[in-house]
Amino acid sequence: MPLTSTKLASITEEQLVHRLRIRDESAMTVFYDKYGTALYGVILRIVKKEEEAEDVLQEALVKIWHSFLSYDTSKGRLFTWVLNICRNLAIDKIRSRQHRVGTRTQPLEDSPAQWQAAPTAFRPEHIGLEEMTNKLNPEQKQVIDLLYFGGFTQSEVAEELNLPLGTVKTRARAAIKVLAKLIR
Amino acid sequence: MNIQEYIESGILEQYVLGTLTLREQTEVERLADAHTEIRQELDQITQALEGYALAHAAAPPAGMRERVLAGWQAAIQLEAPVAATPPVAEPGRVIAMPASEEPARTSGRALTWLMAAAVALLLISNFIFYRNWQNASQELTAMQSSRDELAANTRVVQERLTQRTNELAMFRDDAYHTVQLNGTPNAPGAKARVHFNPTTKAVYVEVRNLPKPPEGKQYQLWALDNGKPIDAGMLAEATMTGDSVQLMKSIASAQAFAMTVEPAGGSASPTLSSMAVLGNMN
Repeated sequence: MPLTSTKLASITEEQLVHRLRIRDESAMTVFYDKYGTALYGVILRIVKKEEEAEDVLQEALVKIWHSFLSYDTSKGRLFTWVLNICRNLAIDKIRSRQHRVGTRTQPLEDSPAQWQAAPTAFRPEHIGLEEMTNKLNPEQKQVIDLLYFGGFTQSEVAEELNLPLGTVKTRARAAIKVLAKLIR
Repeated sequence: MNIQEYIESGILEQYVLGTLTLREQTEVERLADAHTEIRQELDQITQALEGYALAHAAAPPAGMRERVLAGWQAAIQLEAPVAATPPVAEPGRVIAMPASEEPARTSGRALTWLMAAAVALLLISNFIFYRNWQNASQELTAMQSSRDELAANTRVVQERLTQRTNELAMFRDDAYHTVQLNGTPNAPGAKARVHFNPTTKAVYVEVRNLPKPPEGKQYQLWALDNGKPIDAGMLAEATMTGDSVQLMKSIASAQAFAMTVEPAGGSASPTLSSMAVLGNMN
């Protein structure tokens, strides 16, 4: 079964976007029920602390609400747009934290989300993390995780992993192909 | 332009990840509109990354939904009056995935927020303190007035107690002679008593029953010493109705007592025709 974000809950993405656009506050509850756990999981994967992840999620909801008029349906799906907002806030959070501590990066491996089972109630038919990461080879996974959860640009990944930029781009594309195939 | 090369350049991944500048984004959108292959590739990347994100869905801590939604609600209500309208991109230059400028804007927004929150908190707490102070001040005034009232009551009670104590002492004192005054034909059924101490010259009067005097008139007590009437004072209203035992003017010597109805304030000599009660000492 194809995995699309519009199937997350009974309300369509279009209806939800409309309600958010007319500043219907109750739509935020619908939004949360539709995307909350997924967004929380991504944020948690980045900030790694449950309490902080919850703070970032709340901050993200406020940001989404306030900047909703800048969301343009023709230029991307709602889920991608909100994912980027959440990722950016979470990455800001760890960067300010790392800035304080003085370390450049933290190992991405020991994420709580990796050993935490995805809740089955969320989406019974969705593909589990383990299945996905098993299909990605470690090199692909390293690159995609740095790009997606580390907030690195492709050049920064190249620098970090001491690889040519072309290799990084190839690995990233390969990883995305694997993921796309799994989802289709 | 070589489309395959463009696709493999990695720019589409960056677009979906939201790491492109506004100009680069616009360029990607223009090319995606023009070339189906680019659009399809873009959709595929979007779906792949959304799927990857979904795979990370984590069981949230208990009560997070309520906390987060309540926090959101509080934040948007708190912010509304301070930052009247959220910054909105111009319609023509909408940013699909605002990512590249995020960090700087976020800290600016966070500061605005903190200040808005601080100001709101300050206003709310000031309001609460002011209200509490007002309430306390009102309560204090109310308590002060009820305290004054109690003190006044206490004074009244104290006076009455002193009076009753004196009366009791008088009744128990053997030095007092009790003179029974009975009604004359003017006021049959009228009854009063005089307690007279010949040593201290003290005279008390105590009414059992006296008809109400006409308007502007008052009862006056007379002591009769060898047939000569001596003014012993006017009866107070409370005495006349039987509510109190009244200490009258001192009398040196008397054999009988009588009351007459006189104009308010009393007369120098009794109006004998208005005599109400009369009694002789034994």
